[in-house]
Amino acid sequence: MAALFLVLGVVFGLVLSRSGAGDYDYIQGMFLFERFQLYGIIGTAVVVTSVGLWLIKRRGRTLGGAPIEIEPKSLNTGTVVGGVLFGIGWSITGMCPGPMFVNIGEGKVYAVAALAGALTGAALFGTAYEWFQKPFGLTPLKKASTETTR
Amino acid sequence: MPLLLHANPPLHWALAGGVIAAITLLLLVIGNKRLGVSSGLEDICSLALNGPYFRRRAVTSGRGWRLPFVVGLLIGGFLSAVLGGGWSPTWALGRLDLALGLGHAGTLAWMFVGGLFVGVGTRLANGCTSGHGIFGLSNFEWPSLVATVSFMAGGIVTTQLLYRVVLR
Repeated sequence: MAALFLVLGVVFGLVLSRSGAGDYDYIQGMFLFERFQLYGIIGTAVVVTSVGLWLIKRRGRTLGGAPIEIEPKSLNTGTVVGGVLFGIGWSITGMCPGPMFVNIGEGKVYAVAALAGALTGAALFGTAYEWFQKPFGLTPLKKASTETTR
Repeated sequence: MPLLLHANPPLHWALAGGVIAAITLLLLVIGNKRLGVSSGLEDICSLALNGPYFRRRAVTSGRGWRLPFVVGLLIGGFLSAVLGGGWSPTWALGRLDLALGLGHAGTLAWMFVGGLFVGVGTRLANGCTSGHGIFGLSNFEWPSLVATVSFMAGGIVTTQLLYRVVLR
């Protein structure tokens, strides 16, 4: 299975790279309302995926026969504040998380610094989770970690 | 407008969006996986960090597919460069170079700070463009609509301030 996920990642990376989704100027063009490209990409992806999801959920099973399970995401203050912070970072770097990896592969040296920043940010957040948990209404870690035994 | 990478013409948006949808659907119908790249950030952290946040089931059970997937993203970018004109390290940043010219050290600092926002923001919002913007919106999930509106607003305001006010 890991090989399949690797291959899907390669195709995803190729498309992000060649469509402008990882291109600094195209991202700024989106946020400046000067370029339609990224709106077209995300819009098409959402429309086609929603039709496909409807069909897959109606079938209810994976190709291997397992029941489809879609992890839900929670809604809290962190959804808004985190979203805004992420948007600021996307604007500064011109990269959301996927294109950070893609741009490193392309040879864009500065993308290494962007990914290092993102990993540091994720590490800080995870380490200081208790500090974020109450003010942003996040799921308490204790409750979440009781199911942790591997 | 050509891409920064070898000044190649970009793929048509409809083709790119269609392929992204196909990958999202294949991940679900074959692997029972919900597309999401920013969770991969904490998967990578969990290789080195041992705190309870990094030992959650969501992390330990997702690493097996997300780690190969993000390695695939790296390889995809590499192949794109090789096929599109040859791989070589580059610092090209288009508009930012023209407006600011930060130099190498300045560019790295700029990117690291921006990356911090991406790392903290996506973990606090529990998703990014892929998990919220593509999968969540397609699945009509309210939290994803809220997150998408929030990150688009954050990006639009920041870029407009930078290029229409500060660097005008």
